[in-house]
Amino acid sequence: MTMPAIQVSQLSKTYVVPEREAGLSAAFKSLIHRKTREVKAVDQISFTVDEGEIVGFLGPNGAGKTTSLKMLSGLLYPTSGEAHVLGHIPSKRHRDFLSDITLVMGQRNQLVWDIPVIDSLERNRAVYRVPRSDYQSTIDELTELLDLGELLQKPVRNLSLGERMKCEIAAALLHRPSVLFLDEPTIGLDVTMQRRIREFISAYNREHGAAVLLTSHYMADVEALCDRVIVIHHGRVLFDGPLTDLVARFSPHKTIQIELDTESADLSEYGDVVEQEGARYKISVDKAVTPEVTGRLLADLPVIDLTVEDPPIENVIEQVFSSENAES
Amino acid sequence: MRIGILNELAYRMNFLVQLLQSGMSLLTALVGFLVVFSHTETLGDWRPNDILALLGVYLIVGGLVGLLIRPSMSRLMEDVREGTLDYTLTKPEDAQFLVSIAQVRIWKLTDFVLGSIVLGYALFNRGLDVGFDETIAFAVTLTCGGAIVYSFFLILSTLSFWFIRIDNILVIFDAMYQAGRWPIGLYPYWLKFVLTFIVPIAFAITVPAEGLIGRLDAQTLGLDIGVATLMIAVSRLFWRYGLRNYSGASA
Repeated sequence: MTMPAIQVSQLSKTYVVPEREAGLSAAFKSLIHRKTREVKAVDQISFTVDEGEIVGFLGPNGAGKTTSLKMLSGLLYPTSGEAHVLGHIPSKRHRDFLSDITLVMGQRNQLVWDIPVIDSLERNRAVYRVPRSDYQSTIDELTELLDLGELLQKPVRNLSLGERMKCEIAAALLHRPSVLFLDEPTIGLDVTMQRRIREFISAYNREHGAAVLLTSHYMADVEALCDRVIVIHHGRVLFDGPLTDLVARFSPHKTIQIELDTESADLSEYGDVVEQEGARYKISVDKAVTPEVTGRLLADLPVIDLTVEDPPIENVIEQVFSSENAES
Repeated sequence: MRIGILNELAYRMNFLVQLLQSGMSLLTALVGFLVVFSHTETLGDWRPNDILALLGVYLIVGGLVGLLIRPSMSRLMEDVREGTLDYTLTKPEDAQFLVSIAQVRIWKLTDFVLGSIVLGYALFNRGLDVGFDETIAFAVTLTCGGAIVYSFFLILSTLSFWFIRIDNILVIFDAMYQAGRWPIGLYPYWLKFVLTFIVPIAFAITVPAEGLIGRLDAQTLGLDIGVATLMIAVSRLFWRYGLRNYSGASA
């Protein structure tokens, strides 16, 4: 039996944050006496990720995603609980461990601003002690996959956001890590570039069998890449399983889109009318009765067009969080 | 390391400004020197050429600190504040080593060169009486001085794990460093204490200069080596302790 690439049990991180009221006098007061407060950023999460798996890590801002990734990549000491990545304890920051993982943060760059990309890559080559022969073939491979071309010769400050991201990813993968922590790798990029990066991640995963733990606010990323998602909120795991199950579990409805030849039909007897635009209607119906309702609609009304679909994943996620809030 | 140099070379204009700055600071130092010795023949028991040699060491050490230690430590503080230290910490290399060579201000070599010229001139005037013992003493004390200043900076910078913004502390160091142009022994007792044990300028400048001109006693040399070893150990431990408490800048 092989060990999972990432194994997390009861992992928690509590931050102590200074607290002060707004205003100047409060600011002065806090210079003398600091009030602090404990914030549970991550609260006893447990999960495993197998080799070669791409797992989406979802949650609203401040849910604890980044904190979790940082603990798993050895940046932060967990307050309690255990994590094993590739058999290592991340916070020990063992050289073998660090040589086999990578962390990409979409909002921060590691490339040096004023010098050509290739020089930053060369630095990483030296730090990771990648042999020159491997280095050249990796660069060639990355250049082809990411279409880097002449970007490598340009100083980073002259690159567009998307180009920079491609180069960042190249720099992060020079040493061919087998576990990738990607924190919003596509943030701020246009749709084409997002797809590009996505395809690349998927290709790297296929070729090298690397485990990928990815956070993103773009559901397109998640849908395209992840078979499995872990939803966290307020530092706790709310859901862990295939994306399709998430939809099934949290969204017991389907949306029927229907186009009629009249703008004044009353469809409320069939289900909730969530939207009407001219002669086009959207009704939300219970999954169980969807076939029956669809049949009735087609029989009763002069239907021009009809489609049945799952609600957009964004809405499902939103529902997950709101249902959690209602419970607590 | 190489990256730091490349980064600097990207801005050529900086070089001219730095040259001007080094020239100015040498000039003010020399003016001070001339003013003082137009009134007196000796300062404490230091004679003009001794002071000039000290000035040379002052510039050399200042150049070395400015070349590597100071810029790297400023960079560290910035990285802590902005969270880019995260990337350094995910590298499979000792993080202290990486942050210590993160940035090089190559132009500070001008201070180093000017200092060497001043020092050479002073030694020449003294009649080139530097023997084997003095050379060894100078090398040892300069190394210790460098280690002490480096550890001092590392401890200050590590504080930024808790306080985030403490760039101002480095400015205090600069101000204190100016005091090193004169032999620390000349200052009143309390200041002597501060400049030796709180901000370790005595070890960085006065002691090496004493070593070079043969004024160093064995006791001071021993103390110097002891303090250097202790500082390196303490700063290393403190750095590791700081890392445990590092919470990063949230994304």
